[in-house]
Amino acid sequence: MMRKVTKRLTLVLVMSLLISLLAACGGGNNNSAAPEKEKNNGNTAPVQGEAGPDTSKKVKLTWYLVGDAHKDQDKIVAEWNKMLEKDLNTTVDLKFTTWNDWLTKYNLLLTSGEKIDMIFASNWADFYKLAKQGAFKNLKDLLPTYAPVTWANVPKQDWDAVTVSDGIFAVPNTNPEYTPLGYVYREDWRKELNLPEFTDLNSIEAYMDAVKTQKKVTPINGAAYENVNDLFKFWTDTQMITGEIVGATSYATPRDIQIIPFTDQYEAWVKKMKEWEQKGFWNKNSLSSKQEAGDFIKTGQGAIYWRNPSSAGGFINEVQAKGLKMEIGFFPFTRFHNYVIPTLPIANGMAIPKSSDNAERSLMVLDKLRNDPAYYNLMTYGIEGTHWAKGDDDKTIVIPAPGVDLNVTPRYDIASWGWRVEENIKKEKGGWEGLDKLKEEFKPISKPDILGQIYLDYDPVKTELAAVNQVFEQYGKPLMLGLTADVDASLKVYRDKLKAAGVEKLLAYVQGEANKYFDEKGIQ
Amino acid sequence: MSGKGGLIRELNRNKVLFLMVAPTLLFFIVFSYIPMVGVYYAFTKFDFDGGLFGSEFIGLKNFEFLFKSGILWDLTKNTVLYNLAFIILGNIMQIICAIFLAQLTSKWFKKTAQSLMFLPYFLSWVLVGAFVFNLFSDLGVVNSVLTQLGLQTYDFYLQTAPWKYIIVFFNIWKGIGYGTVIYLAAIMSISEDYYEAAKIDGANIFQQIRRITLPLLMPTFILLIMFSLGGILKGQFDLFYQIIGNNGMLYEATDIIDTYVFRSLTINFDIGMGTAAGLYQSFFGFVLIMTVNYIIKKTHEEYALF
Amino acid sequence: MGTEVEKLPGVRRKKTGSKIKQDKATIAFNIIGYTLLALISIICLVPFWLIVAGSFTDELEIISEGFKLFPSTISFEAYRSVFSTPEQIYRAYGVTIGVTVAGSLLGLFLTSMAGYALSRKDFLYRNSLSFFIYFTTLFSGGLIPWYIMMTKYLGLKDSYWALILPPLLSAWNIILMRSFMKSIPESIVESAKIDGAGDFLIYRKLILPLSTPGLATIGLFLALGYWNDWFNANMFITTGDKYPLQFLLYKILSSAAVLQTNNGSYLAANVVPPTETLKMAVAVVVTGPVVLLYPFVQRYFVKGLTVGAVKG
Repeated sequence: MMRKVTKRLTLVLVMSLLISLLAACGGGNNNSAAPEKEKNNGNTAPVQGEAGPDTSKKVKLTWYLVGDAHKDQDKIVAEWNKMLEKDLNTTVDLKFTTWNDWLTKYNLLLTSGEKIDMIFASNWADFYKLAKQGAFKNLKDLLPTYAPVTWANVPKQDWDAVTVSDGIFAVPNTNPEYTPLGYVYREDWRKELNLPEFTDLNSIEAYMDAVKTQKKVTPINGAAYENVNDLFKFWTDTQMITGEIVGATSYATPRDIQIIPFTDQYEAWVKKMKEWEQKGFWNKNSLSSKQEAGDFIKTGQGAIYWRNPSSAGGFINEVQAKGLKMEIGFFPFTRFHNYVIPTLPIANGMAIPKSSDNAERSLMVLDKLRNDPAYYNLMTYGIEGTHWAKGDDDKTIVIPAPGVDLNVTPRYDIASWGWRVEENIKKEKGGWEGLDKLKEEFKPISKPDILGQIYLDYDPVKTELAAVNQVFEQYGKPLMLGLTADVDASLKVYRDKLKAAGVEKLLAYVQGEANKYFDEKGIQ
Repeated sequence: MSGKGGLIRELNRNKVLFLMVAPTLLFFIVFSYIPMVGVYYAFTKFDFDGGLFGSEFIGLKNFEFLFKSGILWDLTKNTVLYNLAFIILGNIMQIICAIFLAQLTSKWFKKTAQSLMFLPYFLSWVLVGAFVFNLFSDLGVVNSVLTQLGLQTYDFYLQTAPWKYIIVFFNIWKGIGYGTVIYLAAIMSISEDYYEAAKIDGANIFQQIRRITLPLLMPTFILLIMFSLGGILKGQFDLFYQIIGNNGMLYEATDIIDTYVFRSLTINFDIGMGTAAGLYQSFFGFVLIMTVNYIIKKTHEEYALF
Repeated sequence: MGTEVEKLPGVRRKKTGSKIKQDKATIAFNIIGYTLLALISIICLVPFWLIVAGSFTDELEIISEGFKLFPSTISFEAYRSVFSTPEQIYRAYGVTIGVTVAGSLLGLFLTSMAGYALSRKDFLYRNSLSFFIYFTTLFSGGLIPWYIMMTKYLGLKDSYWALILPPLLSAWNIILMRSFMKSIPESIVESAKIDGAGDFLIYRKLILPLSTPGLATIGLFLALGYWNDWFNANMFITTGDKYPLQFLLYKILSSAAVLQTNNGSYLAANVVPPTETLKMAVAVVVTGPVVLLYPFVQRYFVKGLTVGAVKG
């Protein structure tokens, strides 16, 4: 049945998306905003010139978040509603998509027109596409009146990032993060084998070689593709725009957009990867393996695994919590070229679906949530004294609160990303200290994301995109891992198939849109 | 078909029978026929302002990606061949099992065997996929055995040849308990009288099976095959995806329409294109089943599906 | 019905079969049968056993050494994750059992009525109506219109009916039922009609008792369908108390997978739940009750009342 097919399709699609987005690619290969055509006008009535929004009517709002509800969620929402009722004469019914097929459900909720007053939004949940298709309300005229604090404290460029066709369709969070990829690896083995620290490709190759020959361990055990592909992108400074096919050849040359598999650099790389494969840096069944490379590090059968700084921290903490006797290091690929790109503002945000009847009130609640610590702390961290306690200062918290057993009251967790505001964020005691060091390392070398916000909806080339993507999956992935017997021959096949699939038309489209965007922003 | 004044008269004559199917018909109208308007997505460029019928009509553009690749024919062939293997071999295995289960005398053995045969049905394809990987990976069970026997190991995940057999095997394995039940029930509905009569004629057990059981299972067999024909282009996505995964090295032998469409739309999911692919599969199945049913109806009316 | 069979003379059943000395053909038949079925049973059992064993294995051992018939250390970690909120699991069992029983009974009733009506040769529109039903397996409008129908027009969001209704009737079950009922000789219906019995009475008093194996089959399929259904709960149920077992377990699995990939920087005191062994424990928890109950269904797969017995 079609329903089943679509269901499964989306299910797996979502899972793969989910995994990649949680690792939060820093490469900036996401579609982004550039106004295209006027679509949403006049669906909101500006209510200006009043003394303050009228809240005499009692309103019950429905909010949707992605993810799961915590065991104590009802209690927390009840507390929260008590405050809200007093302050804004409003209550919120907070619902969750659960993690299962959340993107399918997310799209269904929007498409079916269910009455929802606030929903999580993000570029990795198709924000730009949905905004352009008209799924969200234009908030431009409402924000100054109903969310004045937020309107004032969100930077201008962040509002620009959620502006599509001259309308503002989401409230982005205010929490710039750095999530570049890198390798977690067995640092103890590096020391033991007397190898240099990672600085470039040679040092990484030397490490893998030594691990393979002296430790008799496959360095990238399990699923290898992402581990290798991300190394490629960061080492060569390739800025992918469309999947793994079309991109700029380097950050410094954004206008030099090419079909990456057609470049000499790519050819040299896949030849090198063939060598690596023959040296046994990963397994022949790597493409079918569903086991993360990191799982094998934990069992002592692997040495390298791609992570971003925050998930690297999680990995290192887990290794410690399990009492595994190994030292894990983290090498961010940003050190190859010495710059880092922060996540897009709309990596996380909140939006109001078109079906909402209470956009004004909903914005007022969001304004409170973001900017009033009482609201913020309760919803983001749970009940003080139960789920968390104050740390040494206002900025730190202790989890769990003293005297609370995590087995009885599991740690409170909520998809709070959409409303996070940097100055309200509290730091938890006992995290991986490497994270702060990395933050210090990243701040001075931060560069703006110039490619991430080129808005592409691929409508004129969606046929070609689909065909090209399938060719990439079939021929590009094995090539990247050096699995084919004859690299020259299979590279030729890959290139021919891409051409036949219409990759040049796709390139022309991307170049056209990108140049328009660069001209507008004055980027050379 | 029904002569003059047919419907009214028939409604009157068989009103109880009509009442008995009425809830079913209502069910399908509400849950299947009305939602069928959704096939129109295949012909539009979706936007929220327009919704289903207000979105721009773009003709057959959403179908282009299927034909553009030039491998639609290969995919269609793969899908059909896999499904035929599943249907025919699967049903034959199920009939064989059902016949033995019905005829063997040891009660506890029969019950145990029947229960055990149902176990694979409960394992999700995710688990089956993990299991298959354990068997055939570089250091998997099969290669360990080969090494121990002093033979060369085999790179299963680089070679297309073995996968057709592996996939067909696991699909039949998973459905054997389920399908056997149908045939077992059909055998149980055969009157004992026939067998007694055959025994008196001196027929041995093989002759009884050939002369009584098999002919009487024929309608069920044909029914099940016919039923499956409509879905001949719809593949079991989970089966292929969980066993093969993203391994492009094996696609030549293991790619079906569903996995192909899934891959095509991973970057830019498009409701119109997704619906279009489904419609192609449906239409193909529809034409096939109408043709086959027409032929069967002309030759063996009693076997026709409708 | 096959013509070859009809030529055989009908003889009243006698209980002599088992006493007759087994001839060579029967012996050969038994040897093949027992061997083949034993072999198939083993092929079906071994993977399942590996899953059961795996569910009691340490996560890291599974990753490093793969499936084993007997794990070298026993770990209950996966089951601890599944049963971390026991009252929720028990509630979910309750929901699943309730929905399965209610849905299967109602579904069996409607399916058998429809199947019977469509099997009647004197029912003029039986073929058109069969086609009407079969057609729904060919074309579908996809998820969105169906979802809108369920939520907007039928108002079934977060209702138990959203779990009961969608799997209630399927073309497959109805057509199968029709075929089982087709094998009941027309003559029985005709003679009952002459006696003045109405269609519904014939269905209730004659057809149902004669279709035990068919009813058992369809009942089993319906029950399995309800038991394994997580999709409808996933789409429509938003209150935790109404989660059926499969969905709850599936939810535990996907949360664990998310935690695994997204175990941010804070994990200091908290250990990530296992994912590999959890999948297996979930399979065991779901399958367990069914495997234990299945033998009770099997007793309906015996030669029940035969045509001869009714007539006589």
